[in-house]
Amino acid sequence: MSEGMVLHGRGLVKRFGPAVALAGVELAVRQGETIAIMGPSGSGKSTLLHCLAGITKPDEGEVTLLGRRVDTMRERERSALRRTRFGFVFQFGQLLPELAAEENVALPLMLGGVPRAKAVTQAREWFGPLGLGGMEHRRPGELSGGQAQRVAIARALVTGPAVVFADEPTGALDQSTGHDTMRILVEATRRNGASLVVVTHDPQVARWCDSTVEVRDGRILPAAAVAR
Amino acid sequence: MRTLELSWRLLRGGGRRELLGAGLTLVAVAVCTALLLFAAGINLAFDARSDREAWRNPVRASDAVAVQAVRHGFVADRSITVVELAALKQGLAPPPGLSRFPAPGEVWTSPALAALIERLPADRLGRRFPVLAGLVIGDEGLIHPGELVAVVGRAPGDPAMTWLQSAESLLSTGPTRIAGFGGEPSDMAVGYSILALIATVLMIVPLLVFGGASARLTVARRDRRLAALRLVGATPGQVVGMTAAEAMFVAVLGALLGTVVYGVAVPLLAGIPIAGGTWFAWDLLPGPQYVIGVLLAVPLLVGLSAVVGLRRVVVSPLGVAKRETPPGMRFVRVVVTVALVAAAPAVASGTASVAALVLAVALPFLSIAVLGPWVVGVIGRITARSARGPARLLAGRRLMDDPRSAWRTVSGVVLTGFVAGFIGLLTPASGLLGDESAGRLQIEVPAARVAETADKAGERLRSAGLAGRVETSGKGDHRLVTVVLATEETATVDRARTALAGLAPGHSATSPADDQHQGEVMLADVRTGTIVVLTVSFLVAIASAGITAASSILDRRQTYALLRLAGTPLSVLDRARRAETLVPLAVLGGGAILIGMSSGAALAPGALNGSGMTTLLVCVVLGFCGVIGAGALSRPLLRSVTDNPAPRPD
Repeated sequence: MSEGMVLHGRGLVKRFGPAVALAGVELAVRQGETIAIMGPSGSGKSTLLHCLAGITKPDEGEVTLLGRRVDTMRERERSALRRTRFGFVFQFGQLLPELAAEENVALPLMLGGVPRAKAVTQAREWFGPLGLGGMEHRRPGELSGGQAQRVAIARALVTGPAVVFADEPTGALDQSTGHDTMRILVEATRRNGASLVVVTHDPQVARWCDSTVEVRDGRILPAAAVAR
Repeated sequence: MRTLELSWRLLRGGGRRELLGAGLTLVAVAVCTALLLFAAGINLAFDARSDREAWRNPVRASDAVAVQAVRHGFVADRSITVVELAALKQGLAPPPGLSRFPAPGEVWTSPALAALIERLPADRLGRRFPVLAGLVIGDEGLIHPGELVAVVGRAPGDPAMTWLQSAESLLSTGPTRIAGFGGEPSDMAVGYSILALIATVLMIVPLLVFGGASARLTVARRDRRLAALRLVGATPGQVVGMTAAEAMFVAVLGALLGTVVYGVAVPLLAGIPIAGGTWFAWDLLPGPQYVIGVLLAVPLLVGLSAVVGLRRVVVSPLGVAKRETPPGMRFVRVVVTVALVAAAPAVASGTASVAALVLAVALPFLSIAVLGPWVVGVIGRITARSARGPARLLAGRRLMDDPRSAWRTVSGVVLTGFVAGFIGLLTPASGLLGDESAGRLQIEVPAARVAETADKAGERLRSAGLAGRVETSGKGDHRLVTVVLATEETATVDRARTALAGLAPGHSATSPADDQHQGEVMLADVRTGTIVVLTVSFLVAIASAGITAASSILDRRQTYALLRLAGTPLSVLDRARRAETLVPLAVLGGGAILIGMSSGAALAPGALNGSGMTTLLVCVVLGFCGVIGAGALSRPLLRSVTDNPAPRPD
């Protein structure tokens, strides 16, 4: 394992029927690194994220997290991994509408066995720093789009994950709110020593990251091609 | 027209899951329709039986045209109704089922009696009706196809038409001068009709709840879609129209399917013996006006239920799309419930009419339906507040968030709990009437003829080769001649009955066990009815719970998928789902059983017994297991909708 390497995908191939979504992708993520995966719709960038995050099993290739194979794990183990070592931020619908904002943030802790009172107390600590003070009891439907994304960021980070995955995290927001959300996402992730993998088609979003890879037709383009 | 077209396109374009939801609704409506037709059919069938039997209950008249006497004999533990008729005028209209008025000496028999006479040895039955000329009583004169009936023609002066009846006779109606064959319904027929009506009320409320719930099976999906339509400018009228059109389109198909299913099931249902026999299939077929009524009412109910379910969308296009905290259920539901429960005993004791009785059963029933969602909300608040783990927190919040939806899952079983509490404890124990002797055949005779009749009885026994002794008893004008047989074996008793036939004009030799025959049949029928009502109610309820559980997964698949994505084990999701159903079920089901028991006890105090308690316990255990089983059946669906947990816009 290379020094500082957290997550590594090698030779990843994924097919959906006759369509090839990933055609042998290689991607390494170092500790504390932020990477943007860019590409047009249907290029395979979301599939790459799902394979790296243990949501989907690749047909070929392997994914390792801190040297442990993820792709060969059983569903139960992958679930536990997603719960404890990964965090997720998506474009829409990621908060449970039935739960208050603080309960949404506390949920991953409770799923890990932390008693409710302690989990909620821990969850509340995230609200002030993310500019969400006073919104602990609100339902997702009573939050603005930017506020809901910040709650999702708190939820992704509350368990102290190794890697946070974000799929078009600003896709449903206006430019200014999207800008703020990305700033908060990157800063909070760095502050917690986690790595960040962001899937986006927006160059403005990619600019927040340390590096960018471009996916086309299921393959990662060489760096020179990206620069062009 | 445009609304209809758009609804159809949205339904068709909704994909496999939308069609699956529609399919579930269709099946639920079909079951509901078939059972509603059965409820209508069985009530009409009892009425029809009562009408066909009425002519055998003579009503005394001053302007008499005929004399009629009715008695019951027995063979092979079955009752034979013997109607004796004598014309006082020429050219009289015949009674129902006969093509002409029977001439003196003629014996008309029902097809079942004729077949039995053929089958059994003459000394068991045939010799009781010596002059047979192949005269057959038609169906319109019979209660049920297997009924044993004989109509005997007599002359007005025949001793069988002139004897005087004592007050105690249970199995005969003495010669009565009648003006026609209008008759009147028997007490037994009225009793059966009332029991059928009560059973219908008990079954119909869970059925209506089921039908209504089925309309909202896919309400969350529809809610979101229609909220989106409201956002782009659809008027409330258009939204209501589309919802009603979509729900009713499926409901009409379901109702038609249910009608066909009922039609196919009728021959099977007709084979279930109640009140001494099976049914004429056409008795169980409700007339076209009832079928059309059900076919119109069911889709209307379904459409109405769907529209009511959409109130929040119509009121605010953002209400559902944004999933705000829903308003709490109103406390007024509690007030209404208390009023309904309190009113029930007052209604029951006020009058003795059938309507009051039905109302007394329906009011507490209705009260549970009104209170249910409110209680679910309260249970949700308590569960969420006291939850320590994620499963109970999710369950509690879900119950708080949408108590009506959670109520729909359990309402069927809860209302069936009321039915079980109501009739379960009232199930009559077997052997309630005691065990009377079948080997003591008694004939009532005038005091002056006791000795002569006793002598003749002894002679007839001896000539028939039967062992036994003859006793006499009683005081006053009417005495009893009792033949005590050495055995109670049915064939021997039948031979003794045949040997004693005609000994006292107008009387059959009957035993104390015969006196209780009708009562025993009715009690057995009440037991059968209880089992049928409970089985149907529980099956409906469990089917309802299963369908609602499946649709609830479809409606919330995005939530489940997100939870899986965040690493929630399937078992936690399943536990949350189970808690959502079982916690309210335990609380509300228990309450409903208690209300049912108190309502039943108010109508029939002192009827509680151990056998009823057993029935009730069996129902509770089976009902609870059924709901758990129905929920477990949808676990593969939960697995499949969370298999690929990547979120996507819905």
